[in-house]
Order: sequence, then structure tokens, then C-alpha cells
Amino acid sequence: MASVAGGSAAQTPPAAPGGSEHSLRAPTRRQVFERVVSLREGSIIVVTIITAIYFSANTSSFFTGTNFKTLLPYFAPFAILAAGEVFVMILGEIDLSIGAMYLFAPILFYKLDTSLGFGLVPGVIVTLLLCMVVGALNGFFVAVIGINSFVATLAMLFTFEGLALIISHGTPVATPGAQPPLGTFGKVFGGGTYAEIIWAVAIVAILQVVLTFTRWGLYTVAIGSNKLGAAEAGVQVKLVMIRNYMLCSLTAALVGIFEAVRSATVQPDPAGANEILFLAVAAGVIGGTLLTGGSGTIVGALIGALFLGILKDGLILQGVNANYLLFYTGLAVIVAMSANVYVSRARRGHSGSG
Amino acid sequence: MAESDQGLEAARLHGYADSTVIDRPGFDRRAFLRRTALTGVAAGSVSTLLAACGSSASGGGGGSASVFGSHASYKFVFVNHVTTNPFFTPTQYGAADASSLLGCSYQWTGSESSNVNQMVNALSSAVTAKADGIAVSLIDLHAFNAPVEAAIKAGIPVVAYNADAPGNARLSYIGQDLRKAGEKMGERIVSDVGSGEVALFIATPGSANLQPRIEGAEAAVKASGKPITLHTVATGAAVPGELSTIDAYWVGHKNTKGMYAVDGGSTESLAKVMQKYGLAAKGVKAGGFDLTEQTQNLLKAGDIEFTIDQQPYLQGFLPVLQLFMYKVSGTLTGLAETDTGLKFLNKETVAPYVSSKSRYEGTATAAKVIA
Repeated sequence: MASVAGGSAAQTPPAAPGGSEHSLRAPTRRQVFERVVSLREGSIIVVTIITAIYFSANTSSFFTGTNFKTLLPYFAPFAILAAGEVFVMILGEIDLSIGAMYLFAPILFYKLDTSLGFGLVPGVIVTLLLCMVVGALNGFFVAVIGINSFVATLAMLFTFEGLALIISHGTPVATPGAQPPLGTFGKVFGGGTYAEIIWAVAIVAILQVVLTFTRWGLYTVAIGSNKLGAAEAGVQVKLVMIRNYMLCSLTAALVGIFEAVRSATVQPDPAGANEILFLAVAAGVIGGTLLTGGSGTIVGALIGALFLGILKDGLILQGVNANYLLFYTGLAVIVAMSANVYVSRARRGHSGSG
Repeated sequence: MAESDQGLEAARLHGYADSTVIDRPGFDRRAFLRRTALTGVAAGSVSTLLAACGSSASGGGGGSASVFGSHASYKFVFVNHVTTNPFFTPTQYGAADASSLLGCSYQWTGSESSNVNQMVNALSSAVTAKADGIAVSLIDLHAFNAPVEAAIKAGIPVVAYNADAPGNARLSYIGQDLRKAGEKMGERIVSDVGSGEVALFIATPGSANLQPRIEGAEAAVKASGKPITLHTVATGAAVPGELSTIDAYWVGHKNTKGMYAVDGGSTESLAKVMQKYGLAAKGVKAGGFDLTEQTQNLLKAGDIEFTIDQQPYLQGFLPVLQLFMYKVSGTLTGLAETDTGLKFLNKETVAPYVSSKSRYEGTATAAKVIA
């Protein structure tokens, strides 16, 4: 929960100047609430807190130190995946191939380490670089060739899931460097209790700064809002798009390795990876990034992932069975998104009048 | 289950403990001796309990307290790799029935798509929620070792069901002896086909719930010394994909003398392909595992020669029973390595499965005695 409070606190100051023109007096509680809610991430923060309070009240084991640790792997990997995906979604595109990168990276890492003798850290680095090449290919197909991103990355999803099955012979293997007792490599790359959350917070923080304060971020938003306009203003549209796809593949490959280290096994079954892909996209959208592009938030993606994680962990703690779990998850996402849409409409109305 | 099968089941429990456990790689002799000692007690308690069930059913629920003394309402968690797969529908009925019989509750959770990370997450949640016991399908050889040890360290008994991983700290395994099942299938291939090209279809190679069957079949064929060439073909986890894979395999390999599948989905798809091309009449041999409704019908129609039942109902019922006994006995008894069977069904013996709808096969929701 600390990350939620941190996220909202960090986001409050930039919003304050716009709002404070209206009143010179100290803001009332209602105004504070309105300001938080009118943040891009605002509604999902509120919904997440309400969800956490609900489970704390209903399940004695939810608000405990043990569950804090249990909860981490429920959302940290998705936060990292979604952080990269948001960069593509802001462009108004999508990257479905993250499912394949998630699956392919640990298999590639295994092969590099065991068959080609790269060693652990060089193996990871080369894996990440190769996956970024795949990302560049994605970007090339979308930005240069002009294939619709859904279809292009779907094709890449199949291609690399297939390749993962081919080079692994469809057989799961033990992740190198992840077998007990866990060494430094294993602890850093996903095996340690707090490894994934530390990576997630760091990556989210860095990418949020990149998105908000750098030219790269500005160009990304500009392309997503108006591609033609951005190009005419001198933005190298194709280059930015390719770069964002590379970033997206990088984060997905990183998560693939983390998760393979955490579970100590490299699984080549694409079914699991496809589910991960949709949850990551969902985390981004729930967090306040538009699928249509032009607007997005990395911190929101983290909170979106946290919301989905709390929901799943809480429902399991409550004793909900698998079939009902899907049902409740679906309902909760609909409610959260309705709140999101309602609030963003209110926000637009507010800024329009002011 | 029919009344007369109880004795058979108990006998099988003994037979299993005496002969087959030794074949397991990573076998621990001390643990084996402990389990063997427990098996007799547990098998005895199964029959006592089933008898108790017969008498208490008329007297209404809550009968377990009168037998075992008043106990807390235990909550057991099943962590599964394909929570929404129809194969496990009878398993959930089994867990539900054992729970209501014993005044406990159960939860069915895990992953929908064999994602071991999600399964490990669910296992952690079950430990956090202080479950009274956990049953987990150990579909991976590495992923569950540390989490299961952590659960046991936290004082939560963990048993494996449906799939087992050698070297895992789980307290017992309830399910088919997968390698032995594969060997029996291999022997059947040897006697039915004799020589030539044979295809073995597997949904997900390497997964611990399927791969041992392939290995068992290969070992048996090799041991026979017959000139049979085996081709292992991966079909994928979804039935539509499996169907087209097997269809394409036949079209491309018409010299195949026998086609066999080691998982329920592939078996159903194989049977459909056999029917589509009328291969049984052409002398192509086929068989597989498990009892989906389609498999039952096509077996009855003679498109495949056999399917091997592993009693998924018991894979839900017995884990609850064992965990319950382990709890009420203060860890003194309850756990037993249990082979839920290796039952070859053919055109004739599948008839009662086709004609009846029951919770034991997941084809009906209402409980009823099958006459």
C-alpha cells in the first residue's frame, strides 16, 4: 500500500497549480478529494484503496506482513510489463508480442547459458539485446512497412512462441542460476522476495520521468495525439516508434527472466504467456492509459497492476473458487473502468470550463 | 463408485505401496517405509469411513463429529494447473463431496493456463490465508520445491494430486502412477501393433503430468525388442489445435500402423481423426487416456480400442480425506501414497460410463446412487 500513497503524493503537486487558482483559502476536504480523483490515475487509486479496505475488512489475513510478501509477485511483474506496453499504447498502437518475449527470453537465456556457455549475467544481457532486436523488428513492421500493429505484433507473438517451442523442444527446463540455494544472481533477477518489486518501482519511476520530462516522452505523446502533425513538426516518427517497441520488448524479456528465476523453471507452454499478455495490457488501460493513444501514465499502470493483483490475491484469500474468480474479476474490472471513464469525462469537463 | 470396487481399491493401495513406489526416481527409503506403515492404516480407515458414510447419509450431515470427535471446520485448498479444464470437474465434485461428508470446506484455485508462476502465487496465498491443508498438482519438477517446503515449514500439510515431482517435499501423492501407466500402454502397443511406425501424441511435452507416460511407453516398446519406430508429436494444449495437428499428421504419414495419445485432449482429437478417415476399419490401432464424453462415445463406436481411466473423482476426494485424517489424528495417520488407477476401458466396458450421468465422471451435478 505504501506505493499507492507514494504514487498519489508524487502526482499531487503538478496538478495543484491548475486547481489552486480557484480558491485562495485552504482547500476543503471535498476539494482535496476532487483533486486526487481528477488526476489521470486518480480514480484507479481510489478504486484500489477501496478494494484493499474491502479485503482488509473481510479477510483477517489480507492486511498482514505475510500477505504483503504474498501480494508482491501478483502485481510487480505486470507493472513492469505494463510500463513498457504503455509507451506503445500512447502511440495509439499495441504490442501483443510481449507474451512471446515473456516466453522466449528465458528459453533463449537458458540456451545461451547452458549450450553456448555465456554465463549468467552475459547470458541475460545478450538475451535482452536480442529481444530488443525483435522489438525493433516490431517497430519496423508497424512504422516503416505500415502493417497494423495488432496484426503485426500478433504475427510476431505466434512466430516467437513457435520459436520458443522449437528451440526448447517443448520441454520445460530448470532455470540456470535459480536453483536453491539461491546465489546473488538468482536473488537479484527475480528470486529474492523483494527483487521484482524493487525492479518494478525503479523501472516505473524511470519510465515515468522519461515520459513526463524528456523529449522522447513528449514526442511519444505527440505522435499518439497527432501523428501527421508530429511528423510535420519535425519529430522523427518512425524512429520514436521503433524505439518504443524496443523498450516494450526489453521490459517483457526482463519479466520473462524474472518469472523464470522466481519459479526456478523455464516453461515453453504459450497458454500461460498469452494470459500474461492480456493482463499486462489490462493493467495499462485500467491505470488510465488510452488504447486510442495520445495519453498515458506509467504510475497508473503500476496501480492498475496493483489493483488486479489485490483483486486476485484477495479473492483467493477469501476462498473464492476458480470459476467465480474469473466472474468477480470481470465484474470488478468493469466497475473500475466505468469509474475511470466517468471521472475522465468529469476531468475534461472541468478543464474545459477553466 | 460401486460397492465392490472398495475392496479392489484397498487392495490396489497395498499392492501399489509394496511394488511400484520403488521405481520412482529420487526415491527415499525412509519416507517409503513410513508411508508403507501408514498405508495399511489409511486403507482401513477409508473403508471404515465409507461405511460410516453409508449410515450417516440418512442421518443428515455433521456425522464426522460423531466419529472423530468435535473438530474445527478445516479448510483445504486445491492448487491446480488448469482450473477450468473439464477433466477436473469430477475432481472438484470429489473434493466437494469429501468436504461435506467430513464437515470441511475446500477451495479450487491456481492457474487456468498451466502458468506455474500463477500456481506458486496461489500457493503462497493459501499459506497466507492459513489453510489447514493444501493439495497441489506438481506439474513441474522445480517450481514447487521451495514453495511446498515453505508451506510445510509454516505447519500446513501439503499433498500432491494428479501429477507428482520426484524430490518434492509433499507428504503423499494421490493420482495415477504415470510412468507405470505409460509402460502398460507401451505393452499394449507392442501386442497390438507388433511392428512398424507408431505415433505418440502429447499435448505439452515435458510437463510432469504427461511426460512420464511417454517415457514409460518408450521404455516398454524398447524392452520388447520389437521393430517399432515411435514418433512423439506435440499437439498443444487446446483441443481445436490438437485436432488439426493429428489430422495433418495422419495425412502426411499414411504408413502409420498405430496412433496413441497420452492426454485427454489429444485422445479425444485422435478418436475424431480415426472416425473421420474410418481408420479402425483400415486396421490402424489407436488408444489413449481419460474419458471425455467424446472419447467415451467414439470408444463405444469402435473408433479407438481403449482408453485408460485414472479416476479424477478420487483425485479430489482422497486428498481431502487424507488431509482431514492427518489433521484430526494430530499427524499420526492419514497420509498414503495412492495410485488412483490404471483401468483399461474398451468398447464393452465403457458402456456404463456412456449410459450413466454422474458426479464421478463430471457429467451430472446431482448426487445419486447408480444402480
